[in-house]
Order: sequence, then structure tokens, then C-alpha cells
Amino acid sequence: MLYFLQVSIDALALGSLYALVALAIGLVFGVMRLINFAQADYITIGAYSLVAPSTAAVPALMFGALHWVPMVAAVLLAVTVLALLTERLAFRPLRNTDTTTLLISSFAVSYFLQSLVLMLHGGRPKTVSIGEGLTSAVELFGLRIPGIQLLTMVVAMALLVVLVVFLKKTSLGVQLRAASENFEMARLLGVPANLVISIAFGISGILGGTISILFVVQTGSLDVRMGLMPAVYAFFATVIGGIGSLPGAVLGGYIVGILSVLLQAYLPVEVRPFRDAVVFAIVIIILLVRPQGLFVTGGAKERV
Amino acid sequence: MVISNRKTLEAKNIHVSFGGIHALSEVDLALATGDILGLIGPNGAGKTTMVNVLTGFQRPKPGAVILDGRDVSKLSAPKMARAGIGRSFQAARLFRNLSVLENLTVAGLGIGLSKAKATEQGREILRWMSLVDQADQKASSLSYSSERRVSIARAVALRPSFLLLDEPASGMNEAECESLMEIITGLPKRVECGVLLIEHNMQVIMGVCDRVHVLDGGKSLAEGRPEEIRSNAVVLRAYLGEDASRKNTRI
Amino acid sequence: MKLLKSSFPGLSLILLLIAGFAIIELLGSASTMRVATEALIRLVFAVGLYVFSGNSGIVSFGHMSFVAIAAYATTWQTCCAMLKPITMPGLPPFLKDETYPLLNSALTSVALAGAVAFVSGLVLMRLASLSASIATLALLFIVNTVYSNWTSVTMGNSTIVGLPVYVNLQVALVAAIAAIVVAYLFQISAWGLKLRATREDEVAAQASGISLYWPRVIAFTISGVIAGFAGILFAHSTGTVSINSFFLSHTFLIVAMIVVGGMRSLAGTVVGVTLLSVVIEIFRRAEAGISLGSIELAIPPGSQEMILALSMLLILIFRKDGIMAGREITLPKWCRKHRATSERRADTAIQ
Repeated sequence: MLYFLQVSIDALALGSLYALVALAIGLVFGVMRLINFAQADYITIGAYSLVAPSTAAVPALMFGALHWVPMVAAVLLAVTVLALLTERLAFRPLRNTDTTTLLISSFAVSYFLQSLVLMLHGGRPKTVSIGEGLTSAVELFGLRIPGIQLLTMVVAMALLVVLVVFLKKTSLGVQLRAASENFEMARLLGVPANLVISIAFGISGILGGTISILFVVQTGSLDVRMGLMPAVYAFFATVIGGIGSLPGAVLGGYIVGILSVLLQAYLPVEVRPFRDAVVFAIVIIILLVRPQGLFVTGGAKERV
Repeated sequence: MVISNRKTLEAKNIHVSFGGIHALSEVDLALATGDILGLIGPNGAGKTTMVNVLTGFQRPKPGAVILDGRDVSKLSAPKMARAGIGRSFQAARLFRNLSVLENLTVAGLGIGLSKAKATEQGREILRWMSLVDQADQKASSLSYSSERRVSIARAVALRPSFLLLDEPASGMNEAECESLMEIITGLPKRVECGVLLIEHNMQVIMGVCDRVHVLDGGKSLAEGRPEEIRSNAVVLRAYLGEDASRKNTRI
Repeated sequence: MKLLKSSFPGLSLILLLIAGFAIIELLGSASTMRVATEALIRLVFAVGLYVFSGNSGIVSFGHMSFVAIAAYATTWQTCCAMLKPITMPGLPPFLKDETYPLLNSALTSVALAGAVAFVSGLVLMRLASLSASIATLALLFIVNTVYSNWTSVTMGNSTIVGLPVYVNLQVALVAAIAAIVVAYLFQISAWGLKLRATREDEVAAQASGISLYWPRVIAFTISGVIAGFAGILFAHSTGTVSINSFFLSHTFLIVAMIVVGGMRSLAGTVVGVTLLSVVIEIFRRAEAGISLGSIELAIPPGSQEMILALSMLLILIFRKDGIMAGREITLPKWCRKHRATSERRADTAIQ
């Protein structure tokens, strides 16, 4: 029972995390019909911005040396600027092309950013210790929960709430949501295209930066590919949830996150290394049963 | 006109709603081989939705589409095309990077012809529509009116029993309309099909249709011969507003 | 004459390859020949990917899975008879204790890859094109995760060495020609045309009686077979197999080649692979260092990938359809004009 509760907390934490990334993917997809592979690298670069560029296995800290408030601010700023740059330089010129071209271009941008990190930091994983105190466990209702787990859950859920409020209650947010669910219609109604797209990318940058910090605190390591798995999980989350639907993306994120943790906890030990494969196989099965995803939006289908 | 095998296409009690908006309510429509039925109505009347229903892109809920006695309401779009219902698109929707001839060959393949036969049939249709000189041109290089004709030609390549033409005359000048009207009037005999023509251009409607069906706000307003419809008060009101019908204007 | 015209696009590519091969065989150093062999094998894979993605317009990130499946299948059958029971104890007896003839192994491995492609195609092509692309990514990850972790059967992330090496430049050339022939025959066939129609406009294709599903499944299977074939070639040209080389980086490389050359035509694929293979080789040497007199010049590692990604983006922005822009190599103008007038005469005669 205790184990189950522990697992549930893990599941909720990871689910919230994936929901955030999925929301980032979903927002950008909604306004640009672009599945942004570079989201993985926003996360990676956010994490790497904590250390100074070098090939050292235990590198000197850059942003990581700051007090946590300016550190978080610096990372978020850096990643947001990165996201906006990629939008401005790589994606804006491609704004009206077909989804295939956009998909391939985001693949290229991701690869470019990855090689950039490789060039500046070398390919070997590094160890970083940030927020040491957070990894110790906290006693809560008889459960020993690592502080970072609690933090992740709290931060992720808080961000989700903030985003939902933003999207539903603020004028800018409502415009963004409208544009995300039906871009053409929103534009005809006067929603400023450039602004809305920039905001979508900005938000995906903020989310990416947040996740990168949480990951580094939790795992204590940096790897060129670290953003890949969350991003890939987020793609599948978006597709399960229904391409073009924001609530769908969030729901999809929770589904894959919870699934991942449950499998890790309850699969027989020998099968556990294959956990990702099982999750992805289940994703495919879900798609088989419901090809258009859980939430179907009008924006997803083509008008005849 | 003697038609060897007279088929019927009926739409019965068609209802289609999109999240609360009734695109079509209680619409009944019927045509037979050899007929040219016009479908008119103000913008948003549901004409394209009706075509989507008849071609399998939209399922009526409730309602039924009966092709020659057979309920085809649940068939997918490709199956409807193979069953003999062809359509041209308002936006032409050609296979842009394929040649003009290949566009027609594809339709021939769609109904199960071999590639050789489909190509031969395509060439023949292009000859009839005076497009054969452009057979090997890329479809994206065509002029606007040629695009429209190829869209019709492609639907003809399906050897359809019923041909649904979605605003083929839009954007055409007078001369182009004339030749379009010639093509449309020739269709029932040449292809042995019935034609449903959606149009805003009243000259074309009056010139080719045997009967005209009027839709407004998703509902059937009237059906009758073109001259009857032209002076029908209810129809006038729908198109032009209260004043026009009182003044007895003609469309 | 008609046969020449219809087969010219494919034939011309084959002739170009043979010409290139002849030049390298006669003039090239051993290292150049190795590079050319590698490029030709990449071409086989690229052609396989093109058969599906180029004709359907659906990007597949999963094709490296078929390469991996075939490569490991042939490894299990032909490699390291002595070491297999020790390094891969999890293999069933018919693989662990036996070694099979090279041809049989190649055929069964390619067949296996094709079978997996068929089954996964049946599943994945039910999805809309964008979801299908993402799902192929899932396929890649599934295969990668399984093969990386099933250490008793695949040695996990370790490189397996000791496969028989029989793929040299000539074999690679024949393989590339075979792949091009298959790809070309598919694209001029009825199924190829149907698939391309679905690429151009899904709605219009359906309205023309074309199902979106079967053309895609068939193309996916054929391309999976060709990708599997590439897997055999990779395995038996280097004599080594490692799951890490069949993952995202390699996928990106080939996608870049196809995109730069032009995804919509076979000629584009060939041009892209050739061009970028040359560029990569130049960079590889530059990274290793060139000595100009007494100065050692070297560009930092990782710049090759960056330039590759950058060139891909530039092509997408400025020449979206790639270098060949979807065109094949067709008969020169004077041939075509002559043919066109004689056909026009025939047309008018019938009217």
C-alpha cells in the first residue's frame, strides 16, 4: 500500500512534467502546425547553461553558481531567448509550408542545436550538483518522498494551473488558445499572428527551462541527449491526446507519465529495461483503437 | 434521350450538424441518369455539405443515401467513388505535381482499370475536352479555367453514374462559361450519368439544368424547373431579401 | 523508343552510377573506394526510404529499425561461430549453434525486415499522415530499446565484430542498381501512381476512388525490404554491427541527403546522397586535420553535423523541393519534341 502511494506520487510528478512538455508541443503545433523536435534541445541547453562550456566531466558552474532565484531566472531567460531565436530564424521563413517540411525542419534545428552542445561541451555525460539539499527525503504521511519529487510535482502543477489560467482568463491567453485551435479563424478575427506565435514559443521556452532545472536537480547529470526522452514522450502524448487539442496534450502527458512510472514499478524486474518500448507499444495500440486521439478538434481535420 | 440503364441517386431526410449548427435538416434530393439537377442557394446554405454527404465525406445523421436501390450512406469516400459517384471540386484540387494525363489515369486506377487502360481512357477524355495538348504538362502549370476542366475530366474518368460538379463556373469569363455549358450539357449522354450542378452563376444554371433545387439555411426551399424557380417568391426572398421579392425581380 | 523514354529516368541514374564507379575503381585510392562503398550502401537505404516517404509525402523516422533487424538477423546466422554461445547465450539453439550460408542468411534477414515492415505498416498506416510519422519514431525507439537491452541476444550496446565481409565496391554498386530498379519500377507502377496521388491531395485521391491505406502499406513494406537489404550490406561491409549506429544520427543523415537532393524524385535521392557524401568526406578529412606546409588546420569536431543541419535548413527555406525539385532525369529536349509532334499527329488523326 505504501509502495503504491509512493508510486502514485512518482506517477503524478512525472505525469505533470510530461503534461508540461506536451502542452509546449501542443501550443506550438496549434499555431504553426509544427511538431517541434527542438523542444528536446531547449531542455538540454537549459540544463547545460548551468555549467561553463568545457569538455570536463565535472565542469565549472556558470548559471549554476548563482543563488537559486537568479539561477532560475537566468536559465529561463536563456532558454526562452533560444526558443524565440529558433522561431525567428528557422521557423518563421517556413511558416506557410506543409507539415512534412515543417517536421523535417524541426528535426534539422534539433540536430543543429545538439551538435552545438556537442561542440561546446563534448559528448561525455557530466556530473553537476545543484540544489543538493533537495534530494534528501521528506517525511509526509508516513511516506519518504525525495524533496525533489515533491518540488517537481508542486512546480509542474503550479505551472499548469498558471498556464490554464493564462489561457482561459487573460486576453492574450485567450487569443493564443483561439489561434492554437484554429489559426486561420483567429487571424481573420484580428489576432496578431507574429505575437501569438512568439508567445507560444516563449512559453515552450519557459517550460523547457523549468524542466531542465528539475531534471538536473533530480539526476545530477548532464547528457547531450537528456531532453530527447521527455520530448519524444511529449510527442506521443500530443498524438494520443489528439493533435490540435490542448487539453488532449495535457491528458496525454499524464497518461504516458503515469504509464511509464507504473510500468517501472510493477513490471517484472527482467522486463524493466524494456519499459520505454512497452510504453511506446501501448501508445501505438491506443492510436490503433482511436487514430484521431482522445480529443478531436475541428482544427485537426481538413475541410473538404 | 434514350438511356440504356437508368439509375437513381436519392438523398432521404438528410440531417448534418456540426456542434450545434444544423448544416442540413430534412433535405430530400433525387436525380436519375440523364438528368441535370441544379443545386443553388445563398452562401452557407449547405450545398457543399450536401455534396460531401453524397460522396461519402460526411455521414448524415440521420438520413440515407440510396444509389440505385442500395443504401450507400455508410460507404467511405473511395468506395462511393468506385460505386459510381464522382465529383469535381470548387478549388479544383488537382494532383499538382502529376501531369494532367496522370491526374485522369489515377481516377481510372481508382475504379480498377489497368494502368494502360486508365491512361488510354484519360487521353480520350482529354481529347473530348480539348485538353489533350496539355496532357504531359504538370497540373500546377495550368490556367485557372483549364484546372477546372481537368477537375471535371478527372471525375469523368471514374465512369460515374452520377457526377457532382461543385461551382465549376466560378471565376470564368463569358466565353469560358459558354464552353463549360457545352461540356456539361454533353455529359449525361457522353458519360451516361446524371449531373448535380452546384452553381452561383445563374446564367449557367438556367442554361443547362432540367430542374433546380434550392437550399437555404440547410433546408430545402423549393424544387422545380428553372423558369419556375427564377420567379418563385420564396426563393427570391432568400437570395435578395424581402424587398426584392415584393418588387418581383428576376434572378 | 517508347520503352527508352519510359525507362530513361531510371536508366540514366544507373548509367551515372556505373560511370562514377568506373572512375573510382580506376583512379581511386583504397580509402576512396571504401568511402564510395559506404556511400553506395547509404544510397540503398536512402532509395528504400524514398520509395515510401518520397512517394507518400509521409516522413518515416523508423526505417533504421528495419536496417537493424536485418543486420542483427544476419549476424545471428553468420557471425562468430565460436563466440556466439558465450556472447549471445540467449539465442535459440538453431541460431546459437549453427552457421548459415551467406546467401540464405541475407535472404531470410531481408525477409524478416520486410515482414516486420508489413506488420508495422498495417498498423501505422491507419493513422493520419502526421501521426504516422510520429508513430514511426515510436517504432524506431521500440526497436532501439529492445535491441539495446536484450543483451543476451544482441550484446546490448556493444559492437559485435567478426562478421564475414563480402561487400566491396562492386557488390555495393550492384546492390545500389538493384535498389534503383525496384524503386523505379514501383514508382511507375499503378500502386506508385496511386500513392503519389495520395501525397498530392488526400481528399481528391479519395474522391477518385483511391484508398489512403493500401498504397501506403505496400510502399512501406517494399521500402522496409530495401532498408533491410541495406542492413545486410552495412553488416557485411564493415564486419561489425552495433545498435547505436542504427538510430537517430544515422536517420538524420539520410533524411538530410534526401531532402537536399529533393524528396519527391529518385534522381533527387541519388543526387542528395552523392553530394552530401562528398561533403561529409571533405569535412571528415578537415576534422582530421589538413597540413598546409607547416600549419595544421583542423575544424572542431561536431562542425560536420552543424553544417549538415544548416544546409538542410537553407535548402528547406530557399529551395523547398531540393536540388532536383521533384524532377527525374528525362530525355533531352530534342528527343522529346520529336516524339511530341508525332504523338500529336496521332491524336489529331483520331479526332
